[in-house]
Amino acid sequence: MFKQVYLARYFDVRLIKEKRRGRLKGTLYSSHNQEAILVGALFGLKSTDWISPIHRDMPAFFLKDSRLGWRRPDRLGMTIEEVCAQVWGKADSPGRARDNWSHIGSRAKHIIHSTSMLAGTIPVAAGVMYADRLNGGDAVCLTFNGEGSTAQGIFHEAINYAAVHKLGVVTIVENNQWAYGTPLELGCPTPDVAERAKGYGIPGFIADGQDVFDVYDKVMMAVDHARAGNGPSIVECKTFRAYGHGDHDDDRANKYRPQEEIEKGRERDPISVCRQTLLALGYLGPEDAESYQAEGKNASEAANEDFPPEVVQYLNEGIEFALQSPLPEAEEAGRWVFKEIN
Amino acid sequence: MSAVANPPAIGKKNYVTAIKEALFEEMERNPDMICQGEDIGILGGAFGVTEGLQAKYGTDRVIDMPISEACIVGSAVGMALAGKTVMAEMQFIDFISCGFDQIVNMLATYHYRTAGEVNMPVVIRGPAGAYGGGALYHSQMNEAWFCNAPGLKVICPSTPYDAKGLMKAALRDGNPCLFFEIKELYRKREVEELLPEDDYVIPLGKAAVRHEGKDITFVSYGQNVYHCLQAAVELEKLGVSAEVIDIRTLVPLDEDTIFTSIAKTNRLIVVNEAPMTCGFAGEIIARVSEKAFEYLDAAPVRITRLDTPVPWVKPLELYVLPSVEKIVSAALKTVRY
Repeated sequence: MFKQVYLARYFDVRLIKEKRRGRLKGTLYSSHNQEAILVGALFGLKSTDWISPIHRDMPAFFLKDSRLGWRRPDRLGMTIEEVCAQVWGKADSPGRARDNWSHIGSRAKHIIHSTSMLAGTIPVAAGVMYADRLNGGDAVCLTFNGEGSTAQGIFHEAINYAAVHKLGVVTIVENNQWAYGTPLELGCPTPDVAERAKGYGIPGFIADGQDVFDVYDKVMMAVDHARAGNGPSIVECKTFRAYGHGDHDDDRANKYRPQEEIEKGRERDPISVCRQTLLALGYLGPEDAESYQAEGKNASEAANEDFPPEVVQYLNEGIEFALQSPLPEAEEAGRWVFKEIN
Repeated sequence: MSAVANPPAIGKKNYVTAIKEALFEEMERNPDMICQGEDIGILGGAFGVTEGLQAKYGTDRVIDMPISEACIVGSAVGMALAGKTVMAEMQFIDFISCGFDQIVNMLATYHYRTAGEVNMPVVIRGPAGAYGGGALYHSQMNEAWFCNAPGLKVICPSTPYDAKGLMKAALRDGNPCLFFEIKELYRKREVEELLPEDDYVIPLGKAAVRHEGKDITFVSYGQNVYHCLQAAVELEKLGVSAEVIDIRTLVPLDEDTIFTSIAKTNRLIVVNEAPMTCGFAGEIIARVSEKAFEYLDAAPVRITRLDTPVPWVKPLELYVLPSVEKIVSAALKTVRY
């Protein structure tokens, strides 16, 4: 788990570096400071469970079903090669680079494809869960959302429907305090998003989004609840968005948010919170604790030596693959509007 | 129930029965088919289209949904992602706007976004159309919105035979389809007809020539087809021979049948009850202008609803809608062009 937090962080750090080196174009949506949510939420899932990540959850695609190893070939998660090919907009992307960034998925790997309309995959997740139940499955689906998307009608409509039919949809709300340039209090009338669960008669859990173990515990409570046929729940993970909405917004985000708020929001780095817990429990010796000091470092400060070598190697391989992968043929743009008849 | 599911092949059937039969037969044929919508189970649908369906196929497969068109569509997408075929009912097609994002951004693009990995066998159907005093929110024909969203097939049958055959084709197509049912035709005696006993489908993208003529071509769909047919009868008395084409599906559009007719008549009037601006009549005329301009001896004309909502009381409603009189008068002008 600790290593997965490093992996998620390194993915972010490395992409920023790649962009600065001029090897990568396009907007990046950083998950920096929110990695514990992705790792903690995904860690206890079964392979056959479904997930629905959004733009700030890019590492979720390769973290899914990776508990027993990132390189397991039969894993129901994406390979780092697939994810990097998508980031670079290459033909080996799972969606052949037809839509950008996190708008990928895989029916075979049980990952729902998102759009830019946030909360829009919650009803899709509910439909998948309904069908899975008809097919005799016991899967759950984690949908990832920001606190901003809780203002969308479809957020309520879909959770309402899932609650009526007791569908195993776990709605994770990464409450990072900022919906692009709008603070929580201008988008949500209650300080705790999880409170909304009461309106649907479902559980609403609150997790410390900086603490991978707390996220794991709360998500597993929600997952167990769903798996037992008791229906959906909301898991709100309290966190803070380290950078801008996307990297195009980094400079402005340092202005529209007070400096002290940013510092406070970033003081509990998920890497150091995880390390402290492991030290306290005796899973890490003091000498291990000294290695890989990635916490608190921005992309410009962090070096490869701040991360476990296998993490760096994994990204090296993914990026190398993406750089070699060709662009899709232009004519492909006209394909697959409709099902093609063979 | 079996009387509804497997009716005897004697006697003419109305439009609503034809759709009902298609749903029952497809539910029987495809155990992975789901029907969902508002009030479709216990009540049997606001118009009775799904009467008896839940009693026969159970609450798991025939689902009474909360009042959320967005969720009806969004969960249908999820069902399709997990391998199901879904009929999603809009209680009135006017309400479809509440599900718009899920239709145009989630459903319509799914196959494209996944480079063909995921098919979306979802048919969204619902009662549409004016002329019944339904007022602003129970009279719409908003098909053009969806013709402008690539990835959706758009269907509008005008007869019981077509309604059944096109519904079956849509449910087997594998692409998302929007199926505009004309509610004024549901129980109209004049359009009842015999339906084949055997299973049949009508391929999407094939127009029907409803009346042959040589002086002018009327292209239409839905209930305006009947206005065109009546106009053709009136015009015949005046010595003008009109051909009437029912396109049946807007996307895909059978251009060939239209062009072949115009090659013969050299004149075109397109009639639809949606508003004029950016309506489908304009699209047909644009295609004819681009690809069959040399056949035309007169400027093509569209007869549509005025660019207004559909008002409630009869004189107001009829004022804004296409009518036999408007078609006849436009046709006479066009043939004398």
